[in-house]
Amino acid sequence: MSDVPVYIAGLGVVSALGRGLAETLHALMHGRCGLGPLGVFPVMSEAALPVGQVQLADDGDDPLPRTHRLACLAAAQALAADPGPVDAIVLGTTTGGILVTEALLEKGGADPAAFRHHGLGTVAETLARRWGCRGPLLTVSTACSSGAAAIALAMALLRRGMARRVLAGGVDSLCRLTYFGFKSLQLIDPGGARPLDQARRGMSVAEGAGMLLLTRAAPSDGALQLLGAGLSCDAHHATTPHPEGRGALAAMQAALADAGLTAGAIDYISLHGTGTLDNDLAEARAVTTLFGERPPPLSSIKGATGHSLAAAGAIEAVVAALAVEHGVAPANTGLSTVDAPLKLNPVTTPLRTPIATVLSNSFGFGGNNAALVIGKGRGPQASSAAAPPPALTIMAAAGLTGVGHGQATWERFAAGGDCAGCLDEAIVCQGLPPRTIRRLKRLPKLALALAAQACGGLPVDALPASVCLGTAWGALSETHDFLQRLFESRQQFPSPTDFIGSVHNAPAAQIAMHLGARGANVTTSGGDASFEQALLAADLLAADPGRSILVLGVDEAQPVLAPLLDPSVRNAPLADGGGALLLRRGGAAGPTITLLAYRHDSGPAAVQHLIQTLGGAQAVRQSYGVILAGIPAAHAGQAARDLSTFVAESGFEAPVIDYRRAIGQYAAASAVAAVLALRLVQGQAVPAALAGGVEHPLAGKNVLLLGLGAYLSAVRIALP
Amino acid sequence: MNMEKLIGELRVKIVEILNLPDVTPADIPLDGQLVGGELGIDSIDVLEMVIMIEKDYGVVIDNKELGTKVFASLRTLAAYILDKSPRRAN
Repeated sequence: MSDVPVYIAGLGVVSALGRGLAETLHALMHGRCGLGPLGVFPVMSEAALPVGQVQLADDGDDPLPRTHRLACLAAAQALAADPGPVDAIVLGTTTGGILVTEALLEKGGADPAAFRHHGLGTVAETLARRWGCRGPLLTVSTACSSGAAAIALAMALLRRGMARRVLAGGVDSLCRLTYFGFKSLQLIDPGGARPLDQARRGMSVAEGAGMLLLTRAAPSDGALQLLGAGLSCDAHHATTPHPEGRGALAAMQAALADAGLTAGAIDYISLHGTGTLDNDLAEARAVTTLFGERPPPLSSIKGATGHSLAAAGAIEAVVAALAVEHGVAPANTGLSTVDAPLKLNPVTTPLRTPIATVLSNSFGFGGNNAALVIGKGRGPQASSAAAPPPALTIMAAAGLTGVGHGQATWERFAAGGDCAGCLDEAIVCQGLPPRTIRRLKRLPKLALALAAQACGGLPVDALPASVCLGTAWGALSETHDFLQRLFESRQQFPSPTDFIGSVHNAPAAQIAMHLGARGANVTTSGGDASFEQALLAADLLAADPGRSILVLGVDEAQPVLAPLLDPSVRNAPLADGGGALLLRRGGAAGPTITLLAYRHDSGPAAVQHLIQTLGGAQAVRQSYGVILAGIPAAHAGQAARDLSTFVAESGFEAPVIDYRRAIGQYAAASAVAAVLALRLVQGQAVPAALAGGVEHPLAGKNVLLLGLGAYLSAVRIALP
Repeated sequence: MNMEKLIGELRVKIVEILNLPDVTPADIPLDGQLVGGELGIDSIDVLEMVIMIEKDYGVVIDNKELGTKVFASLRTLAAYILDKSPRRAN
């Protein structure tokens, strides 16, 4: 538990129930159902399934995808009362610009500029531009728990003192991928979602956005606080929850412990309650285990809103805040007869009752679980941030490039050679169990191979409890193949396996299952800074002392989509790979990795600010013996200018290596660079081929990993 | 289509679409447990087979309860397809 309060200073919500707090509250108080016909894209079959669609004016002039527009609407509400700039934005999303991408691909669109809003990270970038945020952006994609997980990480940022005002939330739009994907899994109720009902047959896919302005300073008009958060992973199955709700229980327990509360303090439980057979049963079992036979009032609002996936956890956090402010527990809309084996008595009509504290659940594919505790605060408290925790120690590392696994990559790199390319999958998968990988395509194979290399031969207690994986584009092969078959079969026969594999967090979930990692499982996706975001998430989540945490950056070069989506890939040979670092805080000696700076910023002033953050020019010269610079081809001009500013202003005279020249043009190249940086610091020398012909001794100095382009980041790899 | 031919066809298709390692068509038993047994076939594979059966035979298996009965064994699956397929005259 932390003694740093985190206040909820603003709320924004857009869903099938309406726009804004007043409309949402009115709909909830009257038990209104927002489900209805789909109008976002054409459906060829005669029996279209009901969805939770937002009534959004068709603005032909707005180039932004629907997800981005929904996010802007909710953010504007959350920031309306207190519109100053925010220090950071933490957002959960699974869809990004996919709705636009689908339409383009169906028509055979080949203009890369049209795909520029595809990436999940572009939603937060859009908000950052609109509301003037140059600080860290963090985009979390853990399927249906993304919104809640984003809020949990935002809270950690505030508690750590890395920000004072954070915009946090979740957003997703309806799209073909999720509509036909969940349909192929037979997880959609043709009659509309009726969570907890004995006749329930699944969810209703929906869209929306929920946003919270979270602050360190108490707002003038209330004491509503985010009291606690808990993350966990089932490590059980790619889609099906653990039958006893093991991971759900762990997330709820962690959230209560984080809030310093017992189960008895909870006045209302906002269930995940999707309406699928398996989710509702597993969640009910977990709730009964934690709260006994007589839990507090509880309900799922997904019969009213539908399941808005990454938005759900954030929308329900907003609803939890409304429940506390207005003393109302929403009804479990759509329910007629409770399923007896659930042993629950959900609220059937909106219940007026004093509510001080709410527990809100969100669970997702991959067994990625999150729970939040929202309620009235405990009054004024000391609000000094804790001292920075000790650095993360690197316990093990693995890298993979076009020339092979770690050792082959290092040898080629150290000789000044070219590592860029796409490693043959048979070599990637050496040593992985055939049954484990039989359904996996390239990205999860790369990720599992890295995890297995980094963690191979370790005793059980050294294996990671948590996994943080950064990927700019997610599983492109599965996404491509799913859409291809969808289009070819006129929407009839897309592959359920491809859908399951297409979610951004599928590779991290595979790692969790392979290693039995039941702690937090977070996938981040923010363009070229995706690995740095994973490192930030790991830094925020790693306890002191705690179990180890595996951090990865990985991307795949799917030949059709990678050049369309990533402008850096377009004019370079296809290349992919990644890196993995097994980290632990406290209690272990060894080389360390520290994310010293990470901002959505560029230009001379930003570089000056970065040098100050690193302790000034003299500290840069004294601390670092080599710089590994990440220069994405798409931002080569800006990156080169910022790099020369950095070198000139700091007076840095040691070698500077443009590592993408050797590793290849892809976002996860920075994860490979981190692994190579470890070899450099351990060897205490920059090989001659990389240092202008003469070996350059490090003489006790460290390696600085500099990320350039749209984001500026600095990572230190140091000997103890 | 007769039962024997259909069973042979299904064995080949199942191994092919599910990418089962170290399993040959002959390894799939006629009456033994199809799902959750030693073959390693699980609920996701069932959904993948559902799509294949709808695509190739025009037979829809659209809920879990029906699926549990139909996918009990290779024989029950073939019998259901033969019974329901609009193309069974072929």
